[in-house]
Amino acid sequence: MNLSTRVMLNRLAPQCAYKRIVTFSTKTAEHAVENQEESKKGVAPAPTPSSPAPVTRKPIIPANYRFVYPEFLPDPKVEWRNPIREKLERLDMLERRKQIDLPEFYVGSVLAVTSSDPHAAGKTSRFVGICINRDRCGLRARFVLRNVIDHQGMEVVYELYDPTIQKVEVLRLEKRLDDSLFYLRDALPEYSTFDENMEAEPLEEGASVPVNDIKVVLRPRPWLERWERQNLRGVANIDEYLKDKHRLSAAKVQKPWEKYDMMKDYRSSIPEEEQTEIFAEVHTDLHTLELQRKRNKRKRTFVKPKQLA
Amino acid sequence: MMRSVIHQLLGLRLSGGCGVTLTQVRDKGHLSRPRLRNPQWFLRKEVTRYDDHLTTENKQFVNELGGVNFGVPAIKKDVQENLIKTKDAATNEVTWTPGLRRCGLIARKIGQYPLWLKNGERIRTTLLQIADNHVIKYIPPEEYLPAQPPKVHNLKKRGCILVGSESTNPALLTKEYTGIFRDSGVGPKKNLARFIVSPEAELVPGTPLNVNHFGVGDFVDVRGKTVDHGFQGVVKRHGFKGMPASHGVTKTHRRAGNIGGGGEKGRVWPGTKMPGHMGNRWRIIKGLRVWRINTKYNVMWVQGSSVPGPTGGLVYIYDTILPLRKNKEAPPFPTFFGELQQTSDDVWYEKVHDFKNGSITYENE
Repeated sequence: MNLSTRVMLNRLAPQCAYKRIVTFSTKTAEHAVENQEESKKGVAPAPTPSSPAPVTRKPIIPANYRFVYPEFLPDPKVEWRNPIREKLERLDMLERRKQIDLPEFYVGSVLAVTSSDPHAAGKTSRFVGICINRDRCGLRARFVLRNVIDHQGMEVVYELYDPTIQKVEVLRLEKRLDDSLFYLRDALPEYSTFDENMEAEPLEEGASVPVNDIKVVLRPRPWLERWERQNLRGVANIDEYLKDKHRLSAAKVQKPWEKYDMMKDYRSSIPEEEQTEIFAEVHTDLHTLELQRKRNKRKRTFVKPKQLA
Repeated sequence: MMRSVIHQLLGLRLSGGCGVTLTQVRDKGHLSRPRLRNPQWFLRKEVTRYDDHLTTENKQFVNELGGVNFGVPAIKKDVQENLIKTKDAATNEVTWTPGLRRCGLIARKIGQYPLWLKNGERIRTTLLQIADNHVIKYIPPEEYLPAQPPKVHNLKKRGCILVGSESTNPALLTKEYTGIFRDSGVGPKKNLARFIVSPEAELVPGTPLNVNHFGVGDFVDVRGKTVDHGFQGVVKRHGFKGMPASHGVTKTHRRAGNIGGGGEKGRVWPGTKMPGHMGNRWRIIKGLRVWRINTKYNVMWVQGSSVPGPTGGLVYIYDTILPLRKNKEAPPFPTFFGELQQTSDDVWYEKVHDFKNGSITYENE
């Protein structure tokens, strides 16, 4: 690669970073915030006044949909893709969403999930915890909640579209600095302890989702994973526990060129055009559900004063 | 090839009245090797694409003609729109009895995703799309004398139905291949399959077959060609453990180890698991329940995620032959005719949770 191409690549890469999308990412939190600001303005490309008016109006799809509903984007593996299967899957997901309110949440948000459990007293169980990971697409989408109960770390994997889930509440809507928070397993317990009777902390309407830049304090080794190799932004004291040999081996496995690898990016993401196509299909339904949720929220906030006398 | 020539020579010699000679075939490769090309008596399907001296307009015209009259493959579209109008299927009223063999369907595996049962259990399902199936030909038992007889019980009393799927542009096909469709009244199809049936289950050429041929709760057998893995070692092919990665092990990390004993059994026993070609074989997976059917897209949800073949691969669906899972009540016989009387596109088996219903809850005893 000669110098000129390298200069070209350097110039192209940031542009591509905006265009290409990694479905489950909060690392590009700055981008996300920008996108949300855009979405408020109404993002869909406004037709220029000089051009003739289009016959059919395209629905205005908020640009943050790919972060709010990441599971609507299919697995980018080409061998597994099929337009009809994806469509049927999306229809099923929408049907389920009409039955249960599945709110917007991110890795780092605190959730409470109520689910049917044949073995629990009262046949339901409620678990409060921080979402440490979201993965998989379509009806398989799932998330992991973590909490420390009686000094014992607990994690529960929930499938988002499992019909045994009765209610999903977001108690605290926020993001963290990393894509997944598995390092909480090796952090001090206070970082993953949440009160079971915690009350919901509603955000102001229209406010962007805050990024919590808390830095977690790790326990000393042994650890479950080699955290020093993962370039974590949300860990405070990782340097305390590293020796030179750890630093060297971590430097060896780094792949700093991967962020310029356009083909890798292409293979691991859904192209923007396809995303708009997919979200155009589900937008009307999702939007009506959102409006319904807003209405319900307003109803809930109004508490009728009790008659005391 | 060589072997067949030798056999032919042998035949000549025998008919000439010479003494019998034997040629030994010592290797077993001809038994287990997947066939790489079709036998010689196969019809050639696709025409060689010569650059005909046609103008672009003429080429466009030819393609349009093919597209309009015979339709594009329905698999690419959402719905089976391009059903070709054929003569009405004569419904000969035959009542179903347990011994009868029905026609099957050609489908494509389009993916897999989970469904949930009403008791909250999660099941994995595979989606099979029945794309544009039509009956091409019926061969009665007297005339059906196949060169390669299939292993079917009582074959002499069975007829054969030829079914085609996915219409295509006939300009791409050979004259001989399109000749198969001449009397059927159906446009040429990409894929063909023969189904051995009882004579009572005869179908008139041109009859469209769709997913309603099967009902929810029925059990089906699915035949397909497994994913081709190529030549594989023993760890991937047979699930051997291999040997340790370290602790002084050299050069034997993924090898089989010992393949036979000594002394009296001093040889490699037949059937020993060894490296070799993996996949690309016809396999039937039997007794899969149909959990759900979508009549709009002609899709059925079938139990499990082990239907042979890759996503997008062709599979053939039959009524199951497992004795305890065979149809006890009459299925649509010989196939489903007429219009459906239903409000929704989806038909769910009674045990499956419909996503339109609310969450699953458990009652207190």
